[in-house]
Amino acid sequence: MKPGRLAWWLVIWVVGLFYLIPMLSMTRFAFQRIPVIKLSFNNVFSKWTIEPLLTTFSDSGFRSSAMLSIWLAIATAVLTLLLLVPTMTIAHLRSPRMRRVIEISAVLPFVVPAIALVVGFAGAFRDTIPQLIRSPFGMVPLYVITALPFTHRTLENGLASLDLRTLIDASRSLGASWIRTVLFVIVPNMRASIATASFLALTVVLGEFTIASLLLKNTLPLYLAYAQGQNPQGSFAVGLVLVVLSAGFVTAANRFGKRVVS
Amino acid sequence: MAGSFKSRARHFIYLPYLIFLSVFLVWPGIYVFRAAFEKNSAERHPMVEAVTGQYRASFIYSLELSAVSAAIGLFIGSLVAIAIVRLENVRVLRSLVVGYSSVAANMGGIPLAFAFLSAFGMQGLATRLLREINIDLIGWGFRITDFWGIVLVYLYFQIPLMTLILVPAIDGLRRTWHEVAQSLGATANQYWRFVALPILTPALLGGFLLLIANAFAAYATAFALSSGGSRLVPVQIRFFLQGETITGKTNLGYAMAAWMVLLTLVLVIGFQTLVRRSERWRQ
Repeated sequence: MKPGRLAWWLVIWVVGLFYLIPMLSMTRFAFQRIPVIKLSFNNVFSKWTIEPLLTTFSDSGFRSSAMLSIWLAIATAVLTLLLLVPTMTIAHLRSPRMRRVIEISAVLPFVVPAIALVVGFAGAFRDTIPQLIRSPFGMVPLYVITALPFTHRTLENGLASLDLRTLIDASRSLGASWIRTVLFVIVPNMRASIATASFLALTVVLGEFTIASLLLKNTLPLYLAYAQGQNPQGSFAVGLVLVVLSAGFVTAANRFGKRVVS
Repeated sequence: MAGSFKSRARHFIYLPYLIFLSVFLVWPGIYVFRAAFEKNSAERHPMVEAVTGQYRASFIYSLELSAVSAAIGLFIGSLVAIAIVRLENVRVLRSLVVGYSSVAANMGGIPLAFAFLSAFGMQGLATRLLREINIDLIGWGFRITDFWGIVLVYLYFQIPLMTLILVPAIDGLRRTWHEVAQSLGATANQYWRFVALPILTPALLGGFLLLIANAFAAYATAFALSSGGSRLVPVQIRFFLQGETITGKTNLGYAMAAWMVLLTLVLVIGFQTLVRRSERWRQ
């Protein structure tokens, strides 16, 4: 092997270890009942247990915050699709100018960090529609906004790869109504990008901390942050589950995303 | 554009999206700036006070943390990107590294803080393993909750983000350029130094700005690591504006948020401009 290649392999290995070690440490801490100090080659494989995870799963505080996070994630994905798919489809068909407007507006959330967005939101709605701040589902619009740059890009790629005009003309000339056309022609053709966008929205919601923390809503990440003190092993175990889950979502999004392009 | 009712009516289809953005993005944004520029009883304007004294220190700390983690992320992330291109003949390597990078670039928040606490905390596994080979992090004064500790944690999403930004840019380098350079007698290193690097510069600089903005907005990880993170701007804003408590300095909190938006705006515009420049080579 040439020395140059060896150096590049070294880069890959060092960074690979850096990516791997924190995750392995978290796994060990969550599932092995041996303090780091007492850890040695003789007991690396002993006292592993999934009990911390099971105990936490039966905790009512965990259950309510997990349910809340799951519902918020689903609501966010649904609202994202309802808001974007029809609007973007029509813009693609009829108005390149509108398409550009949507494209620019979709990267705006990058400019407003979550912390600024949420304090502005709380201030703006405190005196006008306080219900939005009080109900945890008031956060859904903010989540939609936070995920917008990613979800928009995905759907945009999906739409760009379709011959929309032909599909719609065919469907319409066969007598299908507009609603039928969208539901049974456009949506099935966009299923890969719709799935990708949904996965991205789910990932954003399951990991989001800033917004829920400032509005004092007990989502899963908030539960973890506060349970860390009394139940470190259990909350690290759940943290690991969250990592695996969002890794799965992102990987699924990549898979589907590739199908969008090809 | 025909003036018939029907052609105008079809524009209504865009209304839900536009209203949604106005209500949940533009209005909160405007609210932040209005509250920030509201003159209160304090002698100094909130926008001025937000960048003086201890609050200035807070901004500098946040920006330093972002810039340092972005610089290291830029360097290592680029090395990884070049490595997977150089080791192209190993098929799985590329999809493995790019795949994991997109996972790690999205990582953040509480679970990431947990992972680093269990690896590099006082009782961390990595801390322990390093001590076995006589690298005593804690003895050297390293704490995962300090400046360099947070930098280390941030690198977990900064490095992969840079890799993801750079890989398409490197793919855009045309094989023919390499061949031309070779046929003119350039060594591999000369090619990278005098041909590839100048072409990649906009992508590198743009990535650097994006990485700064990325770290600047991060909040959850620092919050979970607590102590050291408490000086970060987002944590300060939270202190003034959390829940319903009246600290008497709400305007100051909004002013800090307004400064964050302004700084991020500059970074994002810089990023967009540079990316457009770097795309000129790719047709």
